[in-house]
Amino acid sequence: MAGIYVHIPFCKSKCRYCDFTSFPDKLCLAESYMACVYREMAMRKSELESKTFDTLYIGGGTPSVIDEQYIAMLVAAAKRNFRLSEGAEITVEINPGTISQKKVDLYKKCGINRFSVGLQTAVDSQLRDLGRIHTLNEFITCARLLKGENFSVDVMIGLKGQTIDDILKTIDVAAAFGASHISMYALSPEDGTPIYTDYLNGELPDSDEVAQMYAAGCEKLKSLGFERYEVSNFAKDGKRSRHNLNYWKRGEYIGFGVSASSFINGVRFTDTFDLDEYFKCILSGALPVISSEKIAGDDIKDEYIMLALRTSDGIERAEYKALFGKDFCDEFSAQLQKVGIYLDISADRIRIKDQYLFVQNSIIVEFLSK
Amino acid sequence: MDKSRIRNFCIIAHIDHGKSTLADRLMEMTGQVSKRDMEAQLLDSMEIERERGITIKLAPVRMFYTASDGEEYVFNLIDTPGHVDFTYEVSRSLAACEGAILIVDATQGVEAQTLANVYLAIENNLEILPVINKIDLPSARPDEAKKEIEDVVGLDSSYAPLVSAKEGTNIGEVLEDIVKYFPAPSGDADAPLKALIFDSYYDNYKGVILFVRIKDGKIKAGDKIKTFRSDKIYEVVETGVFAPGLCPCDGLSAGEVGYIAASIKSIQDVAVGDTVTGADNPAAEPLPGYKKVQSVVFCGIYPLDGSRFNDLKDAILKLQLNDASLLFEPDNSVALGFGFRCGFLGLLHMEIIQERIEREFGLEIITTAPSVSYKVIKTNGEELYVDNPSHLPPTSEIERMEEPIVKAYIYSPPDYLGQIMDLCREKRGVFKEMTYLDKSRVQLEYELPLNEIIFDFFDGIKSRTRGYASFDYELIGYKPSKLVKLDILLNGEACDALSMIVHEDSAYARGRTLCENLKEAIPRQLFEVPVQAAIGGKIIARETVKAVRKDVLAKCYGGDITRKKKLLEKQKEGKKRMRSIGSVEVPSEVFMQILKTNKD
Repeated sequence: MAGIYVHIPFCKSKCRYCDFTSFPDKLCLAESYMACVYREMAMRKSELESKTFDTLYIGGGTPSVIDEQYIAMLVAAAKRNFRLSEGAEITVEINPGTISQKKVDLYKKCGINRFSVGLQTAVDSQLRDLGRIHTLNEFITCARLLKGENFSVDVMIGLKGQTIDDILKTIDVAAAFGASHISMYALSPEDGTPIYTDYLNGELPDSDEVAQMYAAGCEKLKSLGFERYEVSNFAKDGKRSRHNLNYWKRGEYIGFGVSASSFINGVRFTDTFDLDEYFKCILSGALPVISSEKIAGDDIKDEYIMLALRTSDGIERAEYKALFGKDFCDEFSAQLQKVGIYLDISADRIRIKDQYLFVQNSIIVEFLSK
Repeated sequence: MDKSRIRNFCIIAHIDHGKSTLADRLMEMTGQVSKRDMEAQLLDSMEIERERGITIKLAPVRMFYTASDGEEYVFNLIDTPGHVDFTYEVSRSLAACEGAILIVDATQGVEAQTLANVYLAIENNLEILPVINKIDLPSARPDEAKKEIEDVVGLDSSYAPLVSAKEGTNIGEVLEDIVKYFPAPSGDADAPLKALIFDSYYDNYKGVILFVRIKDGKIKAGDKIKTFRSDKIYEVVETGVFAPGLCPCDGLSAGEVGYIAASIKSIQDVAVGDTVTGADNPAAEPLPGYKKVQSVVFCGIYPLDGSRFNDLKDAILKLQLNDASLLFEPDNSVALGFGFRCGFLGLLHMEIIQERIEREFGLEIITTAPSVSYKVIKTNGEELYVDNPSHLPPTSEIERMEEPIVKAYIYSPPDYLGQIMDLCREKRGVFKEMTYLDKSRVQLEYELPLNEIIFDFFDGIKSRTRGYASFDYELIGYKPSKLVKLDILLNGEACDALSMIVHEDSAYARGRTLCENLKEAIPRQLFEVPVQAAIGGKIIARETVKAVRKDVLAKCYGGDITRKKKLLEKQKEGKKRMRSIGSVEVPSEVFMQILKTNKD
């Protein structure tokens, strides 16, 4: 398995919690930027000739804010430069405030077969608080445009003034309008974002309240037929995100655009976060990579464990043994004495028990080498 | 060197009265240090000393002074600490001197510690020269200070120079008085060698450096020496003086102060207070040593990283060489592993040692709550002293317990008497006497249990009197007391490192505060942790650390992986700093948290 990620760093306006790379005031640069992204792809073409990609994910920012033509050309550029497998999963992130029938039509026509819709909450006052540009009604309009499509909805918990009922309602709305996949995330107030001041002022729900919200949300999702396959991700009828699963399986992926990360041939590397710098590099024919790290030794194992234990499938014992030469349970018998009670250990896999998935860090760190 | 032109002296004073500043000024006036190189408080070489503005270690220095009689004199000055905890250091430097400059702050007058140090000097037959300092301050009242010296200390102060060490006023007068009033050292340069070791430290290249005062005889490089305590013979490699800093010289003879390096590698072979003599022609008997140190406060010191026990051992051995008042013995705790039980002269001394271990040896340590030494009389009549709560015999074997009592002297302006008396009452103090020294100063005498004053009594006095009162104490013996052992249980398991011996009346309050503090300090675990305080088998307080409910990294995709892994590694790093008490992981700081039980 391998994936392609493309970062579109443009937005109508920056959400108050956002710490991703996006430039709300530089939409006018979209055309030049996309031209550079196509060129970056071409620059990587020969190096990645031998690989087959199963997923393409267009994220942001807000990919749906730019002209849909560029997105269509982007999909075409990906197909032109790289080998995409038959039935590859091609996802685009969309903001309900920036969508139209015309856009959806072209997305579908160019081969996009999966959509990720940023709803976050079905309560308008909370949407305003987050600095989202859309309302619940606009989400409904958007969902109607996507009727019959494979789409995912983002739901946030831990918002200012949010109640458990608000979360249940949000999930209900998403499910009722046809979402086949829901990502339910706890808001994480990052230093430097406007919402961080809400956090400092104690206006956000505390971790116990968030845990209750999460538990209630999980129960609701389960009752609606969504199966949890990773701590924050829930899918109906096996509609798991193949692109994200690839990350958790330590699969390879190539990223294009500012701040995009890649993991190819055991090396993790990242493109520059600076838009001007990105332009300069591409125009001068240089790759815009600013940092890279060869993952070796125990780091491989650490990554493998940390990522696999996030998922409900957990660690596959046979695969672990094949990769690292030892049975997981033999290798970590001492650690299992301590945290084994929080794990389901079967003959073929080791996974964190459902009720402990949300407190997984202190379990996972026991197995890390450093 | 002609003995008659040597003056060995020290400076004694209450903390903050300006010892180090006067020493700086004397060095500057004698041209020992040029004004350009003058760094404030030159003799306070330890980082901690400069930071805290206090002197901990005595630091010797040699100066040349040409007096008004036209002769050149050698001054050996030994700076001394002023804090009540460091009396032992003071007594060591006094033994190497013939004279003592007594500094009295013209704005504060005689303070508790001034008296204690003067009496030490008188015991050591030292000539005392009073000096009134800080006369540049507007609130200076030099005449009253002089009168207090006569009334309270009982010294003639009519000839005391009025100086400002800060401004450099009248320092010349002090230099002349040193020549005039302090006797030249006695002693016979031709007699067998007798040199008193008044300090020592370990140098990585030269081995143990001995600071000595030559009482009789002489010594030079190549001489064979030994001490009275061990039979090992060493050859002197280097002798020298303090200029300040080590400065080699051809030899030392009776009356002089200097150092000896003799490739002494084993720290245990030399002790401060011992006498060095010649191996071939030894003196018949040693010089009188010092009073044996009496530890007042005890605590356990453990390496944060259990595998560094040997580094800790090395650090403590080296510190003891430099600070003979530090006592220790190996100890081990179920919760903290191998470490040392250490005895200190007081709480400040304890803090300083902890800081020096961490700074000078780069070791991270865990310390347990300070304790005093209790006397336990067992039902079978056996008597023992216990300073470690976990060594207390079972209650059924204890007939009764006694705790150390001190006589405390508190000097204060009368305005604060009420506050001081309140504090002493809270600390189970028994009022003994009150004396008006003059209309603005009162001396209060209390008997107080030592375990009540080791925590924060000094701070309490200072804060309640806006810094005007001073305080000193001496141990006067043991008194029966209703003492109990307070245990802390985490998830049902007793944690030996958190036990303490407390007075029965305060046990409940202590237990409650402890549980509350621990509840805050112990991070939430995957399961609920009851925190209980118990006396015997009886639970007297309980708090609960709730189970953690959210501990997960948000969105973990793509480029995030490296960053998120760093976060987990950081979390793991934090775990390494924790100790396991049964199944509960407790951060090392928690063991210190226990010190903060009195929040006033």
